[in-house]
Amino acid sequence: MITRVTSTTMMNSASRNMQSAAAELSRLQEKASTQKNISRPSDDPAGTAAALQVRADQKLNAQYTKNVQDGNEWLTTVDSTLSSVTALLQRANVLTVQGANDGALTPAAKETIAMELESIRDSLLAASNTQYAGRSVFAGTSDAGHAFTSPDYAYAGVAGSSVERRIGEGQTIRVDGDGAAIFGEGEDSVFAALDAIAADLRAGVNIGPRITTVATHLTTVSSQQAVIGSRQATVLSAGETLLDAKVSLESRRVSIEDVDLAEIILDLKMQETAYQASLAVTARALQPTLMDFLS
Amino acid sequence: MSTFSGINAAQSALQAARAGIDVAGQNMNNLTTEGYTRQRVTLASVAPTGRIGMLASPTFSAGQGVAVTGIARLANEMLDQKVRNTAASAGFSYVRASTLSGLEKSLNEPSTTGISAQLTDFWSSWQTLSNSPNSDAAAAVVIEEGTALAAQIKQGYTAVSSQWDSVRGNASLQTDELNAAAAQVAELNGMIRSALASGTPTNAMLDQRSMLTSSIATLAGGTVTQNTDGTVDVLLGGNMLVSGTTANAVTLAGPRSIDGSGAGTNPDGTGGATAVQLEWASRPGAAIALDGGELGGAVSMLAPIDPTGTGASGTGGALALAADSYNAMATALTKKVNEGLAKGQTASGATDFFKLPTSGAAALGLTIIPTKASEIASRAIGGGALDGSIADAISLIGKQADSPDALWSSTVTSIGSTTKTELKLSVLADLAATSASTNQLANSSVDLDEENVNLLMSQQAYNAAARVLTTMDEMLDTLINRTGLVGR
Repeated sequence: MITRVTSTTMMNSASRNMQSAAAELSRLQEKASTQKNISRPSDDPAGTAAALQVRADQKLNAQYTKNVQDGNEWLTTVDSTLSSVTALLQRANVLTVQGANDGALTPAAKETIAMELESIRDSLLAASNTQYAGRSVFAGTSDAGHAFTSPDYAYAGVAGSSVERRIGEGQTIRVDGDGAAIFGEGEDSVFAALDAIAADLRAGVNIGPRITTVATHLTTVSSQQAVIGSRQATVLSAGETLLDAKVSLESRRVSIEDVDLAEIILDLKMQETAYQASLAVTARALQPTLMDFLS
Repeated sequence: MSTFSGINAAQSALQAARAGIDVAGQNMNNLTTEGYTRQRVTLASVAPTGRIGMLASPTFSAGQGVAVTGIARLANEMLDQKVRNTAASAGFSYVRASTLSGLEKSLNEPSTTGISAQLTDFWSSWQTLSNSPNSDAAAAVVIEEGTALAAQIKQGYTAVSSQWDSVRGNASLQTDELNAAAAQVAELNGMIRSALASGTPTNAMLDQRSMLTSSIATLAGGTVTQNTDGTVDVLLGGNMLVSGTTANAVTLAGPRSIDGSGAGTNPDGTGGATAVQLEWASRPGAAIALDGGELGGAVSMLAPIDPTGTGASGTGGALALAADSYNAMATALTKKVNEGLAKGQTASGATDFFKLPTSGAAALGLTIIPTKASEIASRAIGGGALDGSIADAISLIGKQADSPDALWSSTVTSIGSTTKTELKLSVLADLAATSASTNQLANSSVDLDEENVNLLMSQQAYNAAARVLTTMDEMLDTLINRTGLVGR
């Protein structure tokens, strides 16, 4: 059937067309003003899932970045402490070699060396109990507040329990110094060794055999410092990776969620024109009837 | 042929022209009346009376004028039928689409404040706790984030539940509307039947009844059948809603809340329906199978998770499914976090973080047990006092395949895509309904130009008939006053 056109149908279709033009205009205005491509899940269900994922990844990225900073500070503390420990042990090494030179030293000189060795031991003990943010960096997960105490030099940490920081989804890194490995425990500890050397010096026993002990501890500390250094490098590079990921996650989020401003403004302008055109056309089409032309 | 028959004929033409002007006027008067169907005078020429008998002259004669045979209502039953059918599916889609739009708005996703963001914040806070397991500040953050998460889940569930209530409330109002419309149709049926019998005009009543049957179709679908006595029957799910002058009442039965409570009992003592359904007031317990309409849409939205009891997917109501997802979220969150923490230790030995309510919806009663760092089992059994490996493991739950995050994401996506589909269907159904009603209006609505033309034509016809009458009059004048005066 060929559709009959009446004033009612014309008016209906005019108001329907204006309504749909206005609805489209309002949709575009919402997009342009919120700058969001997806303002509700039905706009793009698959995009919504991706947006949720990206946002979650961004939050994780931020958290991992915090972990990296925290880990880096732990490792920096451990590293600088180990540097001073190395210096102290080098001095102890020199003193031990000096003290081993039995014949040339008076008991008073030996006493001086012994006293200096003891003061080095105290410094080492203090270094071993270095804290970062209230936690002993060489005591692992212990809450004792210290790693070693005199006189028995027992290690306060729990064997096999380390302080880890998560720097990526499947990656954690140890950020504490392994106190037991660096300083040794109890009788085998570097503190006990220095005590023994001082005692030997005072007792007039040749400390020649002890030179290697000190040297061994020095090597251990150096190698542990190398381990710490490589961990710090890992943490730093993880930080770089996280920074890169942050940028790419943000650009992914923008591409999923946000509108292309130029495009939306263009669409909006076109729709405005279309809406105004529909208003103008309606105004013209609805005016005349036969009555206007009958006298 | 009588001398005066011409005058009679002219008079019938005057009457016909007046009727034409009246009807054109009536049409123009009702230009904007909703549901008005344009009318036309139907005219028929009156044949000359037959001549029989010996004196019948063989001459031919014109007819005896024009007769108004009726005022036709220019409706088209097929177009009306089309309008009703499309209105039923448009109503169905409209309710579904608008309910789902409301539902997806209540999800508040994607956003920086939705459940998804809150979940990530919650997992992140466990990382912070893992970094400093003895810190009450870090623990307070975990507890705060957990509480906020529980509150958001509760809020989401409440939003769905109140939406369910409002859809049911609307459906209840629509049931009343349906009953009222059915009663009016039955009453009009009676009036139309007696009007037809007595020969009074029925057009206005037919217009009203047509509007009512359309609104019944929008409300509940159904079919309309025309009877020979002028009445119509309206069938809903195969049974009579309106039969002649009788209307059968319907009621909305079933639960009064999303958790299935408040269904009441039937008069025979059996339990009320487990799903919201439309029933015949005379036969409680038996659902009417709705084939469309707003009520059909509402009933489908209000359906429980598994209305058939068979576990078949795709039959559950969207609202019940959404509420169920919130419960599933609460349960999964509790299970995952508590199971993870069970590997850790606290001084008191209690490790649970979340606690589910013992009764009622899981989403509504989710609570947090610990109040400070020492009550959170972030430390592994055998680990040092400041070990945070369990907290670290908890923070990774969000990345697991069956995590609450994944559950939420799939809920959001599925509601989003269902909404998208329903919105599209609704647009299509609307288009069909618009086109059907445009076609109907194109046929039945009043056009001013056309009525003006009709008016002019009737006016001219009137003038012409008057002219004929004048001519007749002049003829008779000649015959009566001038005959026999020749040569005077």
